[in-house]
Amino acid sequence: MRPELDGWQALRASRWLRVLALWLMPVLLVLLATIFAEGTPRQMPVAVIDHDHSSATRALVRALHASPALAPQQGVSSVTEGTLLLQRGEVLALVTLPQGFERQLRRGLSPELVVFYNSQYLMAGKLAATAVREAAAEYSARAGVTLRVTYGQDLLGAVAAAAPVRPQMTPLFNPSMSYAHFLATAIAPAMWQLVVVMTTLLALHWRQQQAPWPHASGERWRALGRLLWPISLLLIIQALLMLWAFHQLLGWRGQGHWGWLVLGLVLMQAAVQSLAVAIMGKVQDVVRALSLCAAYLAPAFAFMGVTFPRADMNGLARFWGNLMPSTHYMKVQIPVADQGAGLAVVAPALLALTLFLLVLPLGVRWLRPEANR
Amino acid sequence: MSFWRLLCAEWQAVRADSAVMLVLFGGILFYAVLYPLPYKHNVAGEQPVVVIDQDRTALSRTLIRRVNATPQVRVSDQVFSVAEARERLVAGAAHGMLVIPEHFQRDVLRGSPTTLSYAGDASYFLIYGTVAEGLLTAGTTLVLETQALRSLMVRDSQAPLAAQLQPVRVLAKPVFNAVGGYLNYVLPAVFVLILHQTMLITLGGITVKDRARRAAGVVSTPLLPALLARLLLFVGLYMLFASLYFGFFLALNGVQAVAPLAQLLLFTLMFLVTTALLSLMLGYCWTAPEQPILLVLISSLPLVFTIGFAWPVTSLPGWLDALVNLVPARPGIQGLLVLNQMGAPWSVLAPQAGWLLGQGLLFGGLLLWRVRMTRG
Repeated sequence: MRPELDGWQALRASRWLRVLALWLMPVLLVLLATIFAEGTPRQMPVAVIDHDHSSATRALVRALHASPALAPQQGVSSVTEGTLLLQRGEVLALVTLPQGFERQLRRGLSPELVVFYNSQYLMAGKLAATAVREAAAEYSARAGVTLRVTYGQDLLGAVAAAAPVRPQMTPLFNPSMSYAHFLATAIAPAMWQLVVVMTTLLALHWRQQQAPWPHASGERWRALGRLLWPISLLLIIQALLMLWAFHQLLGWRGQGHWGWLVLGLVLMQAAVQSLAVAIMGKVQDVVRALSLCAAYLAPAFAFMGVTFPRADMNGLARFWGNLMPSTHYMKVQIPVADQGAGLAVVAPALLALTLFLLVLPLGVRWLRPEANR
Repeated sequence: MSFWRLLCAEWQAVRADSAVMLVLFGGILFYAVLYPLPYKHNVAGEQPVVVIDQDRTALSRTLIRRVNATPQVRVSDQVFSVAEARERLVAGAAHGMLVIPEHFQRDVLRGSPTTLSYAGDASYFLIYGTVAEGLLTAGTTLVLETQALRSLMVRDSQAPLAAQLQPVRVLAKPVFNAVGGYLNYVLPAVFVLILHQTMLITLGGITVKDRARRAAGVVSTPLLPALLARLLLFVGLYMLFASLYFGFFLALNGVQAVAPLAQLLLFTLMFLVTTALLSLMLGYCWTAPEQPILLVLISSLPLVFTIGFAWPVTSLPGWLDALVNLVPARPGIQGLLVLNQMGAPWSVLAPQAGWLLGQGLLFGGLLLWRVRMTRG
């Protein structure tokens, strides 16, 4: 047993290990911040077909132009042309203003604006449709006041009567309604989980190439500790960097106590590393272990329940999601960071993460190649 | 040595590699079952909301019944304060709240301004959108009806009724994915990405190992014909997987697929050949068989959000958008969505086909260059 077979030596020996443990996560965080720099998509392309060519429709188109979320394209002459733009994915929505729009508006016949939105690109299409709807509603309210005044009502009465019940929709826990906040803060932990599993597997692979694991159980635990503690330290620094990046780059303001987040991250890392040790111990081959982890943890983002609610998943999907540490960590991060929850809310998730550590003794036993035979 | 023998030799190499066989015949089927799993219900169902009714009148009770009747939300509870409602939301027992203000009925009937406050849990956007849609629909229709009733009784304006209520109507119609389903949104794109990423792992991994064996002098088949045979073998195998994915698994999940078969096969073939050339080329850059898996694991999530189906390309910075154009998955996914999901005519695919062709030439050229370097 050579005592120098520790994590630092592994880092010096393997370039990929250095890439993973040192600078991959910062690069990915910058990449995520770049992708979601807009926060909420702006300037989404929509095509406008104006069949009326009137001052009313021109005013409506101006209202669409005024929306920061939309980049209306005019000069589309036919529905066929507009459909083609929609099919190509060049525009996210097609707004059609029917002939006689202005005449109907003046006569109070409530003309209809139809917006076809691309629901294949579900998120962007819905956002574009909502932006069109909001811009049109604003125009509609103004047109309503004008109409009432035209029909002889005084201006003040008309303004009050046009919108007697104001709907006020408040987004709780994410006041700016930022997609950057929503998506990046879930993607980054999913990516970090992959970084943890890859780094741990590569370190174990390096260790196995150098020398067989010691036979005595205590020796083997110590050898594993020597190998993994420097790497674990670097990985948890990456995770803290991630929280810091949420704060700095995404304008994330944690509501609850940061301690719970850090505890969640430490437990999640220990859970993922325990799984990595067990998988490597069982298959003894880095390529196959990585393939298994790819099948197991690569889809973690989909199972977290951030984009699609977990309550609407079937039992099997929830079960599979429960097998991934990231799912439980998100049950800590979202309540603590967004909603200011305390221990009472996050304790079950923290406990679930702790349960993953039970596979570590098994993994350490399996690390001895002959233990599998 | 005949080309057929070469092809058999390549197939033998694949068969002998248990890690690659596991991905090809286990992983690809496993993913096809696993990825649709979270979205089986396709649309988010009824979300629980709490109501704070400070009015306690016939109108406020009607509103609560209307809210309950929408397919998007159900009233899980009534509470007395906003703080109490917030607690329910933090605990996850509810995802939205509705506050009906005091004198709501009186103000609506008098036509004096009042505010209906809705709130939703915006930590989860799909939930928020569903809650907002349900609450706003119920609220708006009830208010419109009440106003209509009131306008008939108190004629304070001579304007036509329709114009008083809704001067302009907006009708939003979803196209291509009429139910707004999540499976329809995610699966067609993710399936293409799975084919792309697993090919990088399998074909890339096989190539790395083949290089090592050639360097050791174990393999002696002529190199360029062997590469061609390997390319054909993998494209052939993946045409089968693609047929299974686009033919069987999309249908199994109820996702519409509308492309004419010949066009679908031809475009898929172009996509797979280009992806195979990239895999071979990277196989000549990597030095160890685990590296393809590392690259695939690192790149998958960033690709999902830069290809253009999950996050709009117009929101990406120009340099990043340009960079992703070098990945076959981008034109592959965009092209297959355009063709198979959105039913566009074949002629629309020119840009995607052009990108695939250009990439194919680039990766093919780089591959030959790398091959010459390793020989020299």
